Amino acid sequence: MNPVISNGSALLEVEDLRVAFASGGREIRAVDGVSYTVEAGSTLAIIGESGSGKTVGCRAIMGLLPEGAAISGSARLRGTELIGLSDTQLRKHRGSDMAMVFQDPARSLNPTMRAGKQITEAIRTHRKVSRGDARDQAIELLRLVRIPAPERRFHEYPHQLSGGMRQRVVIAMALACRPKLLIADEATTALDVTTQAQIMELLLELQRDLDMALIFISHDLGLAASYADEVVVMYAGKIVEQAPAKRLFGTGGTVKMRYTRALLDAIPHLERPAHTDLPVVAGRPPDPSMLPVGCSFAPRCRSAADDCTAKAPALTEHAPGHRWACWHPCENGGPV
Amino acid sequence: MATLTAGAQQPLPSLVSAGRLRSQRIARALRLWVPAGLLILMAFFCFVWPYVYSIPPGDSGSILAAGLPPFSPGHWLGTDPNGVDISSMLIYGGQVSLEISLAVTAIGMLIGGVLGIAAGYFSGWADAVLSRVFDVLIAFPALVLVLAVAEVLHPSELHLIWALSAFSIPAFARVTRGTTLTVRTLPFITAARLTGTSNWKIIFKHVLPNIIPGIVTFSLLGIGIIVILEGAVDFLGLGIQIPQPSLGEMIAKGQTVLTAQPEYILIPSIVLLIFVMALNLLGDALRERWGVR
Amino acid sequence: MALAQQVQLQRDPGARSDIARRAAGSPALQLVGRRLLTAIPVLLGVTFLTFVVMNLIPGNPAQLILGINASPAAIAKLDVQLGLNHPFWDRYWLWLDGLLHGNLGTAYSNQQSVNSDIAQYLPTTCWLLLYALVGALVLGVIVAVLSARKPNGIFDRISLAVSMIGLSFAPYALAEVLAWVFAVRVHWFNVIDNNLGGNPFSAIKALTLPAASIGFGLFAVYTRLLRADIVEQMQREDYIVTAKAKGVAPWRVLVVHATKNSLFTLITLVALNLGTLIGAVAIIEPIFSVPGLGAELINAIQINDLPLIEGIVVVFALVTVAGNLIADLLYAVLDPRIRYGSSGS
Repeated sequence: MNPVISNGSALLEVEDLRVAFASGGREIRAVDGVSYTVEAGSTLAIIGESGSGKTVGCRAIMGLLPEGAAISGSARLRGTELIGLSDTQLRKHRGSDMAMVFQDPARSLNPTMRAGKQITEAIRTHRKVSRGDARDQAIELLRLVRIPAPERRFHEYPHQLSGGMRQRVVIAMALACRPKLLIADEATTALDVTTQAQIMELLLELQRDLDMALIFISHDLGLAASYADEVVVMYAGKIVEQAPAKRLFGTGGTVKMRYTRALLDAIPHLERPAHTDLPVVAGRPPDPSMLPVGCSFAPRCRSAADDCTAKAPALTEHAPGHRWACWHPCENGGPV
Repeated sequence: MATLTAGAQQPLPSLVSAGRLRSQRIARALRLWVPAGLLILMAFFCFVWPYVYSIPPGDSGSILAAGLPPFSPGHWLGTDPNGVDISSMLIYGGQVSLEISLAVTAIGMLIGGVLGIAAGYFSGWADAVLSRVFDVLIAFPALVLVLAVAEVLHPSELHLIWALSAFSIPAFARVTRGTTLTVRTLPFITAARLTGTSNWKIIFKHVLPNIIPGIVTFSLLGIGIIVILEGAVDFLGLGIQIPQPSLGEMIAKGQTVLTAQPEYILIPSIVLLIFVMALNLLGDALRERWGVR
Repeated sequence: MALAQQVQLQRDPGARSDIARRAAGSPALQLVGRRLLTAIPVLLGVTFLTFVVMNLIPGNPAQLILGINASPAAIAKLDVQLGLNHPFWDRYWLWLDGLLHGNLGTAYSNQQSVNSDIAQYLPTTCWLLLYALVGALVLGVIVAVLSARKPNGIFDRISLAVSMIGLSFAPYALAEVLAWVFAVRVHWFNVIDNNLGGNPFSAIKALTLPAASIGFGLFAVYTRLLRADIVEQMQREDYIVTAKAKGVAPWRVLVVHATKNSLFTLITLVALNLGTLIGAVAIIEPIFSVPGLGAELINAIQINDLPLIEGIVVVFALVTVAGNLIADLLYAVLDPRIRYGSSGS
């Protein structure tokens, strides 16, 4: 069991979260025992490949998984246990205390409903406000997310807006009831690099202004390095490394787990000598219905030894605030 | 460094009950094999059984045995007002219906399929012209088209096949054109063309294998539709002529005695229903297996 | 038009042309125009095909009418009388010309104009089709939405089973079974019911069994595909998850978000199945002796009345094409992506 230090002031406490599905006669372990805490107003980055379980875990907390999902464990939002609540009860928190923003704004918005209406819907679901008041609030929200000419945008359909504007509308929808926790699931992946930076800056500003905690899910370690306070790296449904961002990146960074190291090395740098191969990690993540016995990363790890395939390493706190799960971690942040 | 066992993570116990997984697997297998088995059984009875076991003729009978109810000795489904054994009528009628529908489907698949692939793959003016022609043919209500053709060509099995093909060829062409178009835009096709692979090779090695699942599931549906259409033509007396039996004609004849002896209508109707349902269910199960949309 | 625009029109006549210009540029109208244009060759092809099928087949119509034993002289005389001695293309142009002017020729059997014959029977068929279509649509949408509420729940499983039966039941077989159950066993309806004149109630009662025979199959198709589409939307589409993430109640998500977007599928579905719907009347009407166009077609076929057959077939085909066109237009009008285009930013 992984000891999770709970000092009671944490906004979100996740403990031993597990999610599994039955599909085609096999069990798919999407999330296999995940624990972390998020302090109020802080930023947590959950990094991982597709299929690592990063999205499923957060959707489980929000209660957005399809019917056939089996969920166990605990997720406490300001002390209230979320896992096991009925959908009716969870709905009171969804959109009001905690909100989520998704990857592709083109698909996150209902194409046959005007932008403004989608925002007022978010407001009127949780508060008893008149239509006129809701409209005013929605326009205020559009202004908050820095959309130009908010009154006009209010009446437009999603396809009439650009990608960046759509994402702002989605953020406005999420902030409608001033949630204390915002989860951004690959919120910038579908955008071009410039817009990406703009949206991230916007999110951070909003976070400060509204005293909101932010969890952002991504596969991009660079984003984590630039914007996160705390970083969690996931692989095959488990957390493999967990530390404050400062400890992992920057000068004297001490990345320990081989997988995280490999991710970092795969980021192209300008200083690299030209015409050298990019150190990509070979192979693919394991099939979640057939997880290997030992360390899940062992089949792809260059430093894998016999003990790696025999037994899976547990996530343990080897250094203050820094947990990793690896039998042969990297030394001094050196290469794999 | 800690010892090997301490700090090791045991695999967590399964969250999903094994029973649930097992029942999922069983249900999936049943959905495929029950209809498939039914169809094989029916095909067996139509094409193998009459040659292995002697059954009463389907087109003649003795007046002495007229109008027998089901479960009579020697005639387990009874006989019609002329003494013809009903189960034999089903079997021989089924033979003809199956022959016709398989022939029509094969023609549709071959001719329609080729045209559809050509239209979908080569596009351009060939596609435009062909699509217009098919639009016209499909715009015709199918039954009316078949009736019109069946009326002008004297009723016979061969003419019926041509008439029904007038409907199945454009239907298949449309489906294959659609799936070919989807496949053609996939990146690996573009890659193959860029490396200079000949069009024929691309079609045979790449396009065809990818559209076959869609074509097969559509064919299953199509056989059902053809059998129903053919039955409709027989029902109206414009298709297979008496004394040769057919399901449609059995239903039509049963109208006159609906009040007294509903089994003349009910038996062929139910048999027809089961046959088409089995086809549809099999098509659904295959679509589920192969991931066709 | 908005009030402001109307007021502006009154004050400034130049604005009228401006609005017309903007309307002409509107993507929706362009789409409508394009569809109309492509429909014309299809319509033409349909008429041509009808004429070809009826006239290029072996056998002389005059002989068919007079019988095998007729003398060649009698046949030749009838040939001239019916205008059959003219070359094919002449006859086609003549017929097409008549068609375009609304005249479908004269029936062989009773020397009545085909137009009047069709006009006599068309209304009944229209009512029957409408009854079947509306019934199937309303029931189909309701059942689909209720099924999609809890996929694989009890209601869903039952409705899937029922719709599977509906898909697989031959309409004529179904008609007979319905007749047996509801008219013979339980005397709720009459098998042959001609009270179509009188009050609406008796007409509805008379048409119920025929409409159900046609409509059940349609209902099955609609409910199956609509349910699949709604479930697909609910499970795969991101905007549904977003709506749920906002905390919107499940019913609202289902009806306001998913179903609204699935309506497009429904329209396409109705259009695609129009041919089946219209063709089905030809076989259902005779069973219940409904005095409609379908029954008349079967009669005409049985007495080899070529002009009548041609006329009715053309009407059927044209209505199918028109129906498809209307569906296309509806699609264009309802989808805001087409109506408003991308004004971008």
